[in-house]
Amino acid sequence: MDSLRRGGFRLAAGALAVCSLTIGTLSGCGSSSPSNPNANATGPLTVWVRGSGDSPKAYQKVFAAFTAKTGVKVTQFMTLTDFETKLSAAASAHKLPDVVIDDAAQLGSFQTQGIIQQIDPASIAGSDQIVPAAWNAAKDATGVTYAVPFSAQANVLLVRKDWLDRLHLSPPATWSDVESVAKAFTTQDPDGDGKADTYGIDVPGTTSRGYISWWWSSLLWQAGGDYVKSDGHGKYTATLDSPAAITAAREFETLACTDKVIQPGMLNDDTTAANKAFETGVAGMYLTGPYAYATMDATAVRGKYAVVAPPQGPASAQTLAEGTDMYLMAGAKSKEAEQLLSFMISQQAQTMGMTAVPSATIVRIPIDGNVDAAAQHKGDQRWALAEQVFKAQGHYEYDSMPNWTALRQETSNEINAMIANCSDPAAAMSVLNTRFQTLLRQQGVAG
Amino acid sequence: MAEHSVTGRAAAVISEPDQGAATARGAASAGGRRASRTTRARRRAGRAYLPWLFLAPALAFFGVFRFWPTVWGMYLSLFHVRPYLGNQWVGFGNFTRAFSDPDLRSAVLHTLVDAAATVVGSAFAGFCLALLLEGPARHLRVLRTAAFLPVVVSMVAVAELWNSLLFPGRYGAANSLLGAFGLGPMPFLGSPHSALATVIGVQIWKAAPYDMLIFVAGLAGIDAQLYEAAAIDGARPFQRLRMITLPALRPITTIVITLGLIRGLRVFTEIYVLTNGGPAGSTQTVVPYDYLQATTDNDVGYAAAISTMLLLATVVLTLLVRWWRARGDED
Repeated sequence: MDSLRRGGFRLAAGALAVCSLTIGTLSGCGSSSPSNPNANATGPLTVWVRGSGDSPKAYQKVFAAFTAKTGVKVTQFMTLTDFETKLSAAASAHKLPDVVIDDAAQLGSFQTQGIIQQIDPASIAGSDQIVPAAWNAAKDATGVTYAVPFSAQANVLLVRKDWLDRLHLSPPATWSDVESVAKAFTTQDPDGDGKADTYGIDVPGTTSRGYISWWWSSLLWQAGGDYVKSDGHGKYTATLDSPAAITAAREFETLACTDKVIQPGMLNDDTTAANKAFETGVAGMYLTGPYAYATMDATAVRGKYAVVAPPQGPASAQTLAEGTDMYLMAGAKSKEAEQLLSFMISQQAQTMGMTAVPSATIVRIPIDGNVDAAAQHKGDQRWALAEQVFKAQGHYEYDSMPNWTALRQETSNEINAMIANCSDPAAAMSVLNTRFQTLLRQQGVAG
Repeated sequence: MAEHSVTGRAAAVISEPDQGAATARGAASAGGRRASRTTRARRRAGRAYLPWLFLAPALAFFGVFRFWPTVWGMYLSLFHVRPYLGNQWVGFGNFTRAFSDPDLRSAVLHTLVDAAATVVGSAFAGFCLALLLEGPARHLRVLRTAAFLPVVVSMVAVAELWNSLLFPGRYGAANSLLGAFGLGPMPFLGSPHSALATVIGVQIWKAAPYDMLIFVAGLAGIDAQLYEAAAIDGARPFQRLRMITLPALRPITTIVITLGLIRGLRVFTEIYVLTNGGPAGSTQTVVPYDYLQATTDNDVGYAAAISTMLLLATVVLTLLVRWWRARGDED
């Protein structure tokens, strides 16, 4: 009995060791100490950027130009994996960087965590040149500015030009065009290899990072629907059970379940998998951001696709817009940090962000209305289109919510389930609307 | 037990040196020499500390990187964690929430199904492989190595490989093969009805060779004379398997099941890379769900509460298996 108890203890200790890894990784960011910003008043500016690939080189060049101009040195830290988790760890240690450059979608979350400072646009030189749409992605739910935009983008439609030509079709301009082209791509062997191995539409449909909601939101706005209705005072009511939202859900369900024109396996595909499906000729239409130009041009699909404006839906031709924001962190060296932010929105930095490293366009659409994206990209008209689409049709998500990522995740779970089970869109939207409203209440912004 | 109070706490922790020392002490006290007794006690204490000294680096490592984070995680489960603004005490609020969370409940169900099917499936496949590949012959060693390869390949690579093979279109590798027999195309990971079964299949493929290796070791330990005696008595191969091999492998089976259960309950990479819990949440298990709470939903306290409950469940299950085995040994 004694040996059993000892053995049991040993095994239990073993199990403890096994499980502690899980807890350990999750608990690294906790601290119970109260807020006490205590940043280093001297030394170089610390800037954290979420990104990977060649982007660090591009940022390095822009920061070097800033140092040359102002004499303020910049220490750069860049990662893509678990960026926000690392930031949380830094927050709990009260060693936040001075400036963070990250998706605009993080604004609400950062603000709720109390790790970013309010911004007075007047203290940032040149801020009056920033286009209004980009500013909207830098404000919290009550309209207070908490960031400075650095780059913007809106989704455009990539279509296989060679497939269209072979089937004598024109690029789609409306929802019904998209449906007919998608059917033709799926059934009429557009690549001419004699096999029924192509599909009309490429969708990153996984729930991971909320991709499926991210893709579907363009349909939602094109149908005239929206996630929420604002009361103008920072309170919101979910509107995902509106007739327009149901139309958007039904359109997606028809494409996936009735027409079966979306690439198989899309419910698990993230953007990497979806990119691959377009690059390898599995699917012929892909609604994605202009950063995909560089990705696609590096593969066999280069020169075989056209870029067109997103299709006109029942209500509009709006499309998902996104931004990269610069955040001034709590306890930052404010004077130098504001200098950096002013420099980053200058024409010099915006131009460098587009062209200094061709494989990393850290500035997609410049947020300065005076900088011409197409001209910077040697007259590449695809960028002119991207800029035009952003200005005329770009529609941001609700980045300013206290936790938009949680709301986007909830939408993703429900849409993914609706498509997976080919269930009734109206019923699915009703369930989603209730859950969305519950989350809004939990986040303290329900109207 | 009374000796523990005399010999001190250090010796009480490690029982074997204590027993040896107690015998020595018995002889010494018979002589009634107090001074010598003190010296011996001191030496004994020194000897008792020695193993701890050698264990110290590993213990310090585990202490800092494993046990302390575990305790810290348990502590955090009682808070609404806000790294910068300071944590808010919520007591058992996170735990109460967990019990009424329908998504967590379905994740627990998937985890149990996944763990049970994977443990049974890979133990059975591993046992069959072991029976086929046990033996000292060189070609068997080569085959065993080949069969073991899935274990050493990184799970991410395995997942990518299977993702390509199981492409749900008619021209996916697996579906082309099925097509040759007039079957399919199967949706595999693409449908909520078949995704969990597919994930379980991939896990069995990866884990079975590991179980095989343990079973091979167990088979090698069975006395060959038992088989000879049984054969002389006229036992057929199946009877020999049932009456000799299976009972002899009982302790090994416990190890395989325990390891499999621990592995099964904390399954993460397989799910995260193959399906990320989809489609429609049909493959969502506890640890990926937990990860989601901490990262996407930014709720570290709730995530820590789920981890804590998972830890307790693992400990309880492990003890249950130990108890089952101990009971079997007594029989």
